[in-house]
Amino acid sequence: MPPLARAAHASHSLRCVTGLPDSLVDVDASRLALSFYCIGSLDILDVLNEKVNTITRNEWRKWFWEQQTSGPHGSGFKPSSFMTGQGPASEFEESSPEYSCPHVIMTYTALLSLAILRDNFAGLDRPGIVAFLRGCQREDGSFRTTPQGTESDLRTVYCAFAISSMLNDWSGVDVDRAKAFIALCRTYEGGYGQEPSCEAQGGTTYTAIASLYLVPRSEGEEPLTAAEREQTIRWLSSNQDESGGFRGRTGKAADACYCFWCGASLRILGRDDLVNGLALVKFLDSCQFKFGGISKAPGEHPDPYHTYLSLAAIAMYPPPLGESGSNASWHLAPIDPLLNATQATARWIRDHVP
Amino acid sequence: MAKATKPLYSSLDEWADVQPLDQYEKVNPLAPIFYTDEYKDATSYFRGIVKSDEMSPRVLDLTEHIIRLNPAHYTAWQYRYRTLMNIKAPLDVELKLMDELAVKYLKTYQVWHHRRLILTETRDPQRELAFVEESLREDTKNYHTWSHRQWVLSHFNDSDLWRGELDFLDTMFNQDIRNNSAWHHRFFVVFQSGVREGEEDRERVVRRELTFTKQNISFAPNNPSAWNYLRGVLEFNKLPFSTLTTFVFPYTQPTDPEAVDLVDLDNPPPSKQAELPCPAAIEFLADIYESEGGESLLKANQLWKSLADEHDTMRKRYWEYRIKESLQKGSA
Repeated sequence: MPPLARAAHASHSLRCVTGLPDSLVDVDASRLALSFYCIGSLDILDVLNEKVNTITRNEWRKWFWEQQTSGPHGSGFKPSSFMTGQGPASEFEESSPEYSCPHVIMTYTALLSLAILRDNFAGLDRPGIVAFLRGCQREDGSFRTTPQGTESDLRTVYCAFAISSMLNDWSGVDVDRAKAFIALCRTYEGGYGQEPSCEAQGGTTYTAIASLYLVPRSEGEEPLTAAEREQTIRWLSSNQDESGGFRGRTGKAADACYCFWCGASLRILGRDDLVNGLALVKFLDSCQFKFGGISKAPGEHPDPYHTYLSLAAIAMYPPPLGESGSNASWHLAPIDPLLNATQATARWIRDHVP
Repeated sequence: MAKATKPLYSSLDEWADVQPLDQYEKVNPLAPIFYTDEYKDATSYFRGIVKSDEMSPRVLDLTEHIIRLNPAHYTAWQYRYRTLMNIKAPLDVELKLMDELAVKYLKTYQVWHHRRLILTETRDPQRELAFVEESLREDTKNYHTWSHRQWVLSHFNDSDLWRGELDFLDTMFNQDIRNNSAWHHRFFVVFQSGVREGEEDRERVVRRELTFTKQNISFAPNNPSAWNYLRGVLEFNKLPFSTLTTFVFPYTQPTDPEAVDLVDLDNPPPSKQAELPCPAAIEFLADIYESEGGESLLKANQLWKSLADEHDTMRKRYWEYRIKESLQKGSA
């Protein structure tokens, strides 16, 4: 294998954190998630402290904490200051709380980002977050992205579960109702769709599987029946196509991000030994962009999302080390497949959330 | 588009009464976007409007403008929806606009979500299915578009809407028999959304679906979507895979140059051009042998081995896993 272009991928991530061109204005309402992908890439490459000095890291932490917002529906993190006006910080939020409110997906990515930055979480409004999650859950068990919003699907269920797991407090979610919703999203193929009646898709299948395995359970209790488990393993494994990469849906082309979504699902199910790791890494090798970053498929343009998820997939499925240390560049920080972070970061958050 | 020439709100008399509110940026932000003046100006007026809680026709112009610059601006969508309700704006006009925006921003979640909210209000889905069919022309596998169709059908649950679904699917399959979204939709329509008039005889329905799938496999055997559908129909209706042994067997064999074209509706043979053997058929037959157990396990093992070593080497490890699992089960 040619070496993994670690330095170039780190530079790409740093470039994106520093600033984005106007052509990417459609991430304005999800900038925090994008920042997580950039910082997360630096974490997996294990270069955060080397490339970013303490002063800057502290500034970054401060920025994440600035996105924590409280209101009548509890506390959490918002995507950025895209709806925050100048003037006394709280004035706008007090006059229009529902338009500058926390967002479930951003709250999940903010907690992970702060853990990557090794924050002590002293500023965390724990009861506020629990109340926020409670306010987001709908009758059908799914979660709204924001307390007054109307969008909800499996992605938000996963974020609510991951947050509950990080806080080690499940009182903000009705687990049984959420599990009933997840079950409705299961399809005849063995994967899960974004909402009930939707087609099986790799990303939403990850959120379903990871959610089910995040819930604390008694010994011997299995979240899936044996038949369901085998059917899901079959479908996940059938998504590795002749390119070596994984596709997100039956019959579609492989895409770097599904190397993580499907690869991590198989790892959660204890069957990562079924992945053709070398073929997967070769596919991701071909997705590297010559000026840094990893794209969804060979020849496409890179972005922080595909860069992060590709690195996370490589970390789970590294090529074997040669005798002379060849392939060493492909060995990255080990990943916690349930939280989607490095194991060290996952451990940090579990140890440091007060 | 007149993007460059659109005057800024700050230069317009009719917006002079609004106090714009610039975006807060004190701490060094992460991943800041180098906004255009147009976006900065429009969003400053939008924050001002939200702060004063104004709901008026001009808010519709402003939010449309922002959405065209950034279709993922979910707050602009939320506020737009509230304004539409508040001023009782004509929703047919809104839906017309959404027809344009949905195709333009096909991959944006919010476009489709807003459409749902509007339809929930109007309770008039009559033109929706035709609209979905039209927008699928742009991207025949678009996830949002298919989800929208599934939502329309189940939300309104009107027999007039359901009636044309199989014909619609025929059109989609005629374009591309490998479109898994269409296969999934068929499963949803036939099995997972209740029993409709004319479909009460479930045995007949299952027979029809099996015939349909087998026919399609005979035209294009290496189509994983069709095989997954076949498995789905059998499993959902609790029918053993072995009911299809006669059908499946010829697909597990090398191409037979001597074969003559047979018309057999129950067990349509592979077409002459078919690339055989077909890995999905081998997997299917191995599953049949595995469920028989006993002596047949050996046959299943041979088939899995042929997949691992010859017909599907990318998934070698999966097939070896199947062999190992079956041996463990067999000895248990």
